[in-house]
Amino acid sequence: MNVFINGQQISVGSEPTVLLALQHFLSTEQQKQSFAVALNGSFVGKTDYQQTSLNQGDSIDVLFPIQGG
Amino acid sequence: MTMSKPMNTTLNIYDQHVDSRLLIGSALYPSPEIMKQAILASGSKIVTLSLKRQNPAEQAGAKIWQYIQEIVKETDGFLLPNTAGCKTAKEAVTLAKMSREIFQTDWIKLEVIGDDYNLQPDPIELLNATEQLLNDGFKVLPYCTDDLVICQRLYDLGCQVIMPWASPIGTGKGLMNPYNLETIRLRLPEATLILDAGIGKPSDACLAMEMGYDAVLLNSAIALADNPVMMAKAFSQAIVAGEQGYIAGVMQQRQTAHPSTPTLDTPFWHQNL
Repeated sequence: MNVFINGQQISVGSEPTVLLALQHFLSTEQQKQSFAVALNGSFVGKTDYQQTSLNQGDSIDVLFPIQGG
Repeated sequence: MTMSKPMNTTLNIYDQHVDSRLLIGSALYPSPEIMKQAILASGSKIVTLSLKRQNPAEQAGAKIWQYIQEIVKETDGFLLPNTAGCKTAKEAVTLAKMSREIFQTDWIKLEVIGDDYNLQPDPIELLNATEQLLNDGFKVLPYCTDDLVICQRLYDLGCQVIMPWASPIGTGKGLMNPYNLETIRLRLPEATLILDAGIGKPSDACLAMEMGYDAVLLNSAIALADNPVMMAKAFSQAIVAGEQGYIAGVMQQRQTAHPSTPTLDTPFWHQNL
């Protein structure tokens, strides 16, 4: 199954979750950092990563803190 | 203008009292080190920041975040995440929820942009997003234009803080419509009003405070100065000067000249008549 993370298409297993996709996409260092996730434009809380399953073509946004005005 | 702010009060953000009236952005500085020095020099206790995508190889954002955390710890300050880049209420609400989880704050500087040319807020989407976020427990600090009715609607929805622009983001054009801004102050005396965006010079910030605004939020004017650290100090002083000028009560303008020096018994007075 293919999903998109931050616009990049990645291949995940047959029963993927948000947690599995993040582990596949993020570096080990990034996984330790502060980030938040949206699935198809809706917020997914950290406690829901493991229970949230993915469908073909789903789009995940992983956002990190950055400077802002 | 009626004085509505007693002396020696602090900035009130949804009943959180903050002892600086300058809110400062963390973007556009020549380096993270200068960013930190400038923010500390400004005396600001509220630092704005944002969320963005980051690819796995990128680490620059992590360093900035580390610096911002250090600043907030040193100043015993607060984070104010924004929703920069959002164009719809749905996007802004999602980003606000993501920010709340990361930054552990229910404050959100709500930006919903309606036009790419001047980055003008979309009032319809802004009101929609504000209502959703207030209902979800957020303390919304909406960035809006200097339109009195939009500000009134935001206040009526429950926003205790409203942030009209001085001029478009990053222009440095200062207060484009002083009359509009003064009218908002007069009509919403109980709201915490923060002038946000477009400020270029310390005198712009001073003018806003002389109008009775509660605080000023800026970024580019400090970050893009030749010397951001010195400019940060200049803004800090200008804001204090403007606030004190407002509290002290500015004299009424007069249509005709009045001599400052007493004229009675002036030597040589009309001696040639």
